[in-house]
Amino acid sequence: MTKSTENPAAPQRPLPTIDHDNRPFWEGARASELRMQKCCGCDHIRYPITDLCPQCLSGEFEWQRLSGRGKVFSTIVFHQVYHAAFADEVPYNVSLIQLDEGPRMFSNVVGIPPSDVKVGDVVEAVFDPVGEDITLPRFRIARAG
Amino acid sequence: MSSIKGKVAIVGLGVTEQGKLPGSTPISLGAEAFKRAIADAGLCKDQIDGLLTMPGTTSPEGPLNYLRLGEALGIDPRYTGSMVMGGGTAGALIQNAVLAIEAGLADYVACVFGDTARTGGSRFSRASGWGDSWGLWGMFGAAANSAVAASRHMALYGTTSRQLAEVAVACRYHASLNPNAVMREPITIEDHQESRWIVEPFRLLDCCLISDGGVCIILTSAERARDLRQPPAIIGGIGQAYTTRNMEREDWWYVPHQKEALSRAFAMAGVGPSDVDVAQLYDNFTMSVLLWLEHAGFCGVGESGSFVEGGRIRLGGDLPVNTAGGNLSESYMEGWLHIVEGARQMRGECGPRQVEGAETCLVTGRGMTLNCSNAMILHRA
Repeated sequence: MTKSTENPAAPQRPLPTIDHDNRPFWEGARASELRMQKCCGCDHIRYPITDLCPQCLSGEFEWQRLSGRGKVFSTIVFHQVYHAAFADEVPYNVSLIQLDEGPRMFSNVVGIPPSDVKVGDVVEAVFDPVGEDITLPRFRIARAG
Repeated sequence: MSSIKGKVAIVGLGVTEQGKLPGSTPISLGAEAFKRAIADAGLCKDQIDGLLTMPGTTSPEGPLNYLRLGEALGIDPRYTGSMVMGGGTAGALIQNAVLAIEAGLADYVACVFGDTARTGGSRFSRASGWGDSWGLWGMFGAAANSAVAASRHMALYGTTSRQLAEVAVACRYHASLNPNAVMREPITIEDHQESRWIVEPFRLLDCCLISDGGVCIILTSAERARDLRQPPAIIGGIGQAYTTRNMEREDWWYVPHQKEALSRAFAMAGVGPSDVDVAQLYDNFTMSVLLWLEHAGFCGVGESGSFVEGGRIRLGGDLPVNTAGGNLSESYMEGWLHIVEGARQMRGECGPRQVEGAETCLVTGRGMTLNCSNAMILHRA
């Protein structure tokens, strides 16, 4: 996917609002790291970002760097344009990634044609700047080894 | 749990014209449906002492919908409220009505829905997710979530797009026999295969309609039902279940709660899948019907694709499903019309689409990004 910021009249892609809760995730992405919350009560690693651990309800957590490796849990290809900022990007891949450390997250598998992505493909995170301050974690087919 | 088995019945059905209804509002459509339902039941409006509503997707008042509709109808219910659970709402409201009637909180409960999703501005294309929404990665719209389920089902079990097409073809055939359906032109599997991609693995004909319309369903005790105008559809069993933890569960995509909701409804009614003569299964997308078939036990896990082949869920097949056309072809009333059709099949008034001798109907609903599900068993009186 490409940056959509060159033309000021072009519709802007949705970007996250950085706040106290999610800043470590987005700062991690800018530093090419996938970081998620790890519960201090039960060690459960969770995503999406929440105040309390959905396993044990502890509010204590630390941000943990993940390997960025995982497998494609499910994969779909958008042809319909639901948001004008994506008009030039269809068809594009969206995959649910099963991360090695446990959590699942929606992202894009890039680098191969969108319909070539298969359930079970081993993937690794790549970090794709999409705005001045925002870097999106995406995934590519993992290199051997 | 068995104490409410067979105690409450659906006695009044009101359905407006469906489709594209410019100039209508969710309230005007809900009110029109209410008028038709009380006429159908042979009741006058002041006998309605329970009012449960689902706000339309275009209702500006949101969950205050019950207030606005009560004002519009000029009634003073003693039991009321609105619920917002997407396609899970209709069944959940019916369950509330059953409990209220059995508890004596109301005698005649009207459940009402009106929406102008077609002409009033669809809101189904929004991004889903929490906080930093999945829209960051281009994950938008209702189809995507069910497409995720379909993609994984296909990968694990070899389910094919042509098998999904069987669902669309069956629903359209049934809609062709329903004068109030929006899409009545029969289609073939090839038509489905040639329709454009929306979100792979879904094509256009895997997706439900977006519709304007209103629906009202009136319930009362099975005992009072005997004195009313129509043959009642007796509620034999109800069940609900939820998966609130979403992606924290590995089987989230498979909507495991549906199986729980179904088990509860079957157990209360004292029946099983082999007793079901006709089924109205929530079909926001073709894939949803396949999952319901597995969860209800009509076939095994992963077997739903081959189960639907060869017209098995069409009228005349082993298990007619969505005999009025469903969300896919009748109209997208978020599952409300599935309950209406279930009750009509139990009345035996469906004409060319009547399942001959049908005595037990399964009706299911599901909403909110695969989260909320419910099931209901209806019996002929």
